[in-house]
Amino acid sequence: MAYQFAEEKVFCSGHHACPGCNAALAIRYIVNTLGKDTVAVVPPSCIAIISGPQPLSSMRIPVYQTTLEASAASAAGIKRALKARGKDHVNVVAMAGDGGTYDIGFQALSSAAERNEDIIYICLDNEGYMNTGAQKSSSTPFMAYTTSTPSGKPTVKKNIAEIMAAHRIPYTATATTGYLDDLVRKVQRAKEMKGMRFIVVLIPCLDGWGVADHEGAKISRLAVQTGIFPLYEVEDGRKYTLNHGPQGIPVEAYLRRQKRYRHLTGEQIDEIQRMVDSDWEYLRTKFDS
Amino acid sequence: MCAVAKEIPPVWTTGWTEELSTGTWRSATPVHEERPSPCKNACPAGGNIPLWIQQVREGQYHSAWLTLVANNPFPAVTGRVCHHPCEVSCNRGEYDGAVTVNALEQFVGDLALKEGWPLPGPENNKDARVAVIGSGPAGLSCAYQLRRRGYRVTVFEAQPEPGGVMRYGIPAYRLPKEIVAGEVNRLLATGIELRTGTVVRGEDLDSLRKEFAALCLATGAPRAKVLPQFNPAGGRVISGLDFLGRVNRNDIPAIGRQVAVIGGGSVAMDVARTARRLGSQVKVLALEDGHNLPAQAQEVQEALEEGVIIRGGVMVREAAEEGGILNLTCDKVVLDPSAPPGVLKPIVIPGVSFQVSADTVILAVGQDPDLDGFPVRQGENRVIEVDHCQATSGAGIFACGDAASTDRFVSAAIGGGKRAVLGIERYLEGRGGNCGGEPVPDEVSFKEINTFYFPVAARVERKAADPVKRLQDFREARVALTEEEARAQAHRCFSCGHCLKCDNCYYYCPDMAVIRETLPEKLYGIQDRYCKGCGLCVEECPRGAIVLKEVRR
Repeated sequence: MAYQFAEEKVFCSGHHACPGCNAALAIRYIVNTLGKDTVAVVPPSCIAIISGPQPLSSMRIPVYQTTLEASAASAAGIKRALKARGKDHVNVVAMAGDGGTYDIGFQALSSAAERNEDIIYICLDNEGYMNTGAQKSSSTPFMAYTTSTPSGKPTVKKNIAEIMAAHRIPYTATATTGYLDDLVRKVQRAKEMKGMRFIVVLIPCLDGWGVADHEGAKISRLAVQTGIFPLYEVEDGRKYTLNHGPQGIPVEAYLRRQKRYRHLTGEQIDEIQRMVDSDWEYLRTKFDS
Repeated sequence: MCAVAKEIPPVWTTGWTEELSTGTWRSATPVHEERPSPCKNACPAGGNIPLWIQQVREGQYHSAWLTLVANNPFPAVTGRVCHHPCEVSCNRGEYDGAVTVNALEQFVGDLALKEGWPLPGPENNKDARVAVIGSGPAGLSCAYQLRRRGYRVTVFEAQPEPGGVMRYGIPAYRLPKEIVAGEVNRLLATGIELRTGTVVRGEDLDSLRKEFAALCLATGAPRAKVLPQFNPAGGRVISGLDFLGRVNRNDIPAIGRQVAVIGGGSVAMDVARTARRLGSQVKVLALEDGHNLPAQAQEVQEALEEGVIIRGGVMVREAAEEGGILNLTCDKVVLDPSAPPGVLKPIVIPGVSFQVSADTVILAVGQDPDLDGFPVRQGENRVIEVDHCQATSGAGIFACGDAASTDRFVSAAIGGGKRAVLGIERYLEGRGGNCGGEPVPDEVSFKEINTFYFPVAARVERKAADPVKRLQDFREARVALTEEEARAQAHRCFSCGHCLKCDNCYYYCPDMAVIRETLPEKLYGIQDRYCKGCGLCVEECPRGAIVLKEVRR
């Protein structure tokens, strides 16, 4: 197998993402697939850093850096303004981190979804406030270390894909960097649709998770293969399609490669395994109908 | 103080990050590098296995065959009889089963014979004449490689037909004679003179040296070893080599109903299975225990299927003839594990001796070269001493194959013949030094293979013909792969260390620092200005064709 992607050269070299950064990798395929007729909206996050130190930009498209609360609202406003000026063909994409999506930007996001605003919202989910030194977010998984959960987060990760699907928006999908073809296809699919489109992309944060510089894509695959982060898409909040699911690999294979989990006991790993199994049992029933 | 009003620029973004040189962050840099695969390193003939398998995968069969015959002019032969260490070392063996390299080689080799593809001849002729003594796999490989380089070659063969062990040793059910004839004749057609029925003795070398600029001895190991327990004068004890030679010449010896074969190697299996085809009951008695015979596992398996009885851990103490029957008194033995490698030191287990009777005993306990009178130094193992270029102690005399090695494999002989040519060429051109090549990069290990890109696919080997039908004649015992099967199996090759232009390195770079080159010899470039040295391209290369090298500033 060999990948073949038609990229428009929007994303530029010389950006300031860490070596091996999977967010930068995802951004490459998001903006290069959406193409030049796109406006991006970015709240404070690593994505804001990557989009370039002013006055330089790493994206050859207009990028609006908004507040942490307002990505979805800003994107919706820009899209409505473009439409009013007869530029409906321009894509508007909000690219926010999990902090700006699950937590601080959630109200704006939920409202935009409820209004079915004509925007693409992509959450680059690295499971914490990694840009400010790895604090926990509501996306941080159960038992993961962050600087604000030094003995492991006692609560489970919020399931944003299910929340967004529950808004009955036209398109909800999960994706990750280890499956670039799947990511590109989903961005392309979102680009071709109208209304609120939401994609959550799992982004292994090399520094925040304690992963080797070269291993981001591999870790992201393990997240899928262990069943921790199945890749699927949902149309109109109802029609579920599984793209890549668990392959019987124990969660330990995923957890043991990350420093944020190195404090885990065998019992805790077993508990996580049971939770993942149970979540998968619940999710898989949705693919049947 | 008068403050100058700060101008608000009409455009906030004045340029792109491409002005920034993130390459200065780097402490390591990825390098695309063709690296040896384990199969290539294991191949005694030095075959470029990943390349020709890739060509099979692409349906480029003629190219695949040309790649094969660059190192080995007998792919249809070795595709059947090679002990294929390539498959033992294959990285895919640690995943879902080694690639069936041997079966693929047979597929390409057979196709070439069917299509009648000629071997590439020399580009230009040279004046120097070289004599090769012996037309087995080593001698013919040497002659062929010399001819390819333009030398004028004469091959001397004592037997009436060329081919050596391929024709007179290996039985037809493993290696059909028309295959041997096809590949040997095709080789001779490149312009090699063959003189059959011509025995070259040690004393002949001086006169040959006057006629030829260099000599290569490839006389094999025709002298069968004997065991003191067996009276060599008794007609009921024959050597495996003689037996196989006679059967191959269709001069079938009478061996009776009960046959005992002494030995546990490939020749012992060939003898046993040949005797079964002649209608005898066959017992193989080997010193080694039955699970660790030196013969290839598949040969042992096929012998068992054909009803050969194999008794390992057995040593014959004495043999006595009584009423036309040989009675063998046997001891159970274990091999001393402290013996040096290659030396068998049996320890008798007392009190468990037993009798085996046989009409004929066939000894297959190894062979030695017959080098009496040859002015070349021999080692303690009775083979000619050679250096890395296969040069002997005699000036201008080279040696290869079983005469110069205890590695008694057809493919090792082919490799030796090729190596001898490097030595002969250096000698004829008056160059000194040794034949050690340039330092090569490290071999690709399994952990460098990114198995995500290789869906699990079953290994499919050639099927064996029905054992009962096999015993009826000397027709080939294994069924070749079909084209469809061969293509599917070729697709399983990881192509370790060989870039296939899959573009993974290009696509996986978060910094767009990998660029696709248009030059045929250079596929990808790394933009030093941007590469941060993360190694993601190295990790995502499916096949270990990129390495990360430390940057020293």
